[in-house]
Amino acid sequence: MTAAVLTRVRRLPRLRPGRLGATVAGTVLAVAVLACLLAPVLWPLDQSAIDLSQTRLAPSAAHPAGTDDLGRDVLLRSIYGLRVSLLVGVFAALVAAVIGGAVGALAGTLGGWVDRILMRLVDTIAAMPHLLLGIFIVAMLRPSLGAVVLSVGLTHWLSTARIVRSELLSLRHRPFIDAAVSGGAGRMRVLTRHLLPHVLPRLALATTLMIPHAVWHETALSFLGLGLPPHLASLGNMINDGRGSLLAGAWWASLTPGLVLIVVTLALAALTAHWRDHLDPRVRAELQL
Amino acid sequence: MTTTDPLLAVAGLTVRFRLPDAVVHAVTDLHLDIRPGELVAVVGESGCGKSVLAHALLGLLPRNATVTGRALLRTDSAGSRSGSAGSRGGSALARGGDGAAPVDLLACPPRQLARQVRGRVVGLVPQSPATSLTPVRTGRRLLVETLRAHGHTGADAPVAADRLAVDVGLDPADLDRYPHELSGGMAQRLATALALAPDPPLLLADEPTTGLDRPLVDHTLDLLRRRCDAGAAVLLITHDLAAAQRVADTVAVMYASRIVEHAPTEALFEAPGHPYSAALLDALPQRAFRPVPGHPPMLTDLPAGCAFAARCDRATPACRVQPAFTGIRAGQVACHHPLERAELCAEVPA
Amino acid sequence: MTGRALAACQVSASYGSQRVLDRVDLHIAAGETVGLSGPSGSGKSTLARLLALLHRPDSGHVSLDGAAVTGTRHQVPVAMRTRVAILFQSPRAATDPRLTLAEIIAEPLRATGTPAEQARERTAELADTVGLTTDLLTRRPHAVSDGQLQRACLARALVHRPAYLLCDEATAMLDASTQAHVAAVIGEYQRRHSAGVLVISHDAALLARWADRVVDLS
Repeated sequence: MTAAVLTRVRRLPRLRPGRLGATVAGTVLAVAVLACLLAPVLWPLDQSAIDLSQTRLAPSAAHPAGTDDLGRDVLLRSIYGLRVSLLVGVFAALVAAVIGGAVGALAGTLGGWVDRILMRLVDTIAAMPHLLLGIFIVAMLRPSLGAVVLSVGLTHWLSTARIVRSELLSLRHRPFIDAAVSGGAGRMRVLTRHLLPHVLPRLALATTLMIPHAVWHETALSFLGLGLPPHLASLGNMINDGRGSLLAGAWWASLTPGLVLIVVTLALAALTAHWRDHLDPRVRAELQL
Repeated sequence: MTTTDPLLAVAGLTVRFRLPDAVVHAVTDLHLDIRPGELVAVVGESGCGKSVLAHALLGLLPRNATVTGRALLRTDSAGSRSGSAGSRGGSALARGGDGAAPVDLLACPPRQLARQVRGRVVGLVPQSPATSLTPVRTGRRLLVETLRAHGHTGADAPVAADRLAVDVGLDPADLDRYPHELSGGMAQRLATALALAPDPPLLLADEPTTGLDRPLVDHTLDLLRRRCDAGAAVLLITHDLAAAQRVADTVAVMYASRIVEHAPTEALFEAPGHPYSAALLDALPQRAFRPVPGHPPMLTDLPAGCAFAARCDRATPACRVQPAFTGIRAGQVACHHPLERAELCAEVPA
Repeated sequence: MTGRALAACQVSASYGSQRVLDRVDLHIAAGETVGLSGPSGSGKSTLARLLALLHRPDSGHVSLDGAAVTGTRHQVPVAMRTRVAILFQSPRAATDPRLTLAEIIAEPLRATGTPAEQARERTAELADTVGLTTDLLTRRPHAVSDGQLQRACLARALVHRPAYLLCDEATAMLDASTQAHVAAVIGEYQRRHSAGVLVISHDAALLARWADRVVDLS
């Protein structure tokens, strides 16, 4: 009962140093997502429109982040770029979660030679540079949103697979699984009722942590010209396009999408880390003592 | 038993936990004295609040706990205790220059508790040694580090480490292993050695024998007894009545957050004064092997008056009033209708 | 070997290179309580897991009511697996922290296809048998004591009316009163169903009191 009381007590919310950071991160993210959602309604953008009379204008009231070498508003395009990046990030992370979750679940529950083969496969893919592999995948397909999602998803499922597998392996030999087997539960029942529910929060966490990775990967592909078609706003495209303006003194053209990328992905990572601290009782216990 | 002043004097200790929908009465008006050279055991059913007592004394309660009362720890005592740890001069606190002022463990600021009290003056023999040992250091490094932090010189510490290992029943060669290479029993002995290393005048052992097999249980208990005979005061918290019987000088029986009886071990086991003590003893396999009838009350919902009345065959309407138990001497019973021995033992000298 | 019994016949088991059981025989007849003692590391728990059909012996076999069991865990038919129940030392490790006590007790029934309503009735009946009050059934493991949780584990172990119950240090973490109560509940079940019981413990007094005979594994 004492132990029980203490555990119950630990579930109460309390102010921790991480709390402020999480609030800031949450606000930043909320603003960014809101801007992405509302942008098409509030500030429609013709992606292919250019205005050569307004090239490389410095930041002003009309253009808070200036314009680029084709006279396009940098802030607005950054918001549209973020839309694309987040979209790709979320979908790619989901692709990674599905592949990684399936591979990890197979390896973790079947064990034996299935486990050995799948894990060697994971090691082999992990040995290749992500970006190179991503480029290879995109190069085989036509540049499009779907190709980028696939490229990122197919290269980012490895850690998810490892997490799911190790989690399952450590659960598999716990006495409560023995008790379930002894009580007559079949393989599917053990997997769906006793194993997966414990793994799912972990999987969700891994997937969320994957989003910033995926966003950076997409940016890198676009920067290299392998992402979206050049006229579409994407953070990577914009940073790349801005290089010319940078030499002409228009620093804002690259800086703005770069800053948006860094601030949003950091906020995402911080929020996920905060969530993890709350989710994982082991981490929580360490924080207590 | 000694006639010296208590090393630790707990008076009126009360601990409450605030939960969103209830208040947990974990410890209520608890009085307990422990003298140097005395081993006091606190026993009771699971959920009676005995572990919270240990946590409260160590200042390790969660933040929604309210603690009232005093737990005065004499700080000059260890200096007067000599010869127990070889060639060491003075205790940690005496060296710290605190003089003779007693420390109130319940009012002590957390920093002082962490730096000057826990480990140094109050040693803890933990419940689950496997998780309380740093996995990346060998036993020897853990032990030598602890010894150095508590006044041993660089040259002296390794020798002392070996001596301590032998003391707790560990082969010194096993000190070179990492915690995960040790069996449960070996890890328990290492954890005990670490708790003993600073030679604390007060040892707190919270269920130190859970999960150990009989020889190891006996070994750990005997170790505590030897420490006690060398002048330390030991508070043993356990659900294992046989363990308490083996080594304790006095046993305090806790029920529903209160101590209901505190008596010399022999007297308690021969002729318990409180009906609850008697019922608990009857549950032992050596005796009737009969469970205490009924269920213990929830600590969030304690009845008025004697909390045992509902399970007690001696209960009368008088039991609706909480029986007094304000004395702090061994030999007292908090019961309106105590069994025979109570009168007899009211005289037991403290 | 005749009659109804759970038996280990010349079983050996090892973890890695370390052999923990070497050609051990153990026989638990229906209605009998066998005590098993021995120092830690002598393979008591491994023997219990073998008998519970959760672990495959390196050599030798386990026989259940005269039939040798082949395979382990899921390979054993459900009807056979549920004839043997096991109670572990730590009820915390043996329960899923996400489930309520009622769900924990009913799980073996639900897993074998018993309708929810019927499972609920049986759960209430068993909770009463082991001494759990109704308000505890809606709680999760973290909100109950070790003693209460072990009672729930006992209820779960009895849910299929097993012919054999293996208690692996099942009362070592419990106070004297809860231990005596758990032993009494098991004793009563045993009388009613003529079940075979294995009690593993390092407490000689407990074995002397509880078991019909004691086997020392050393």
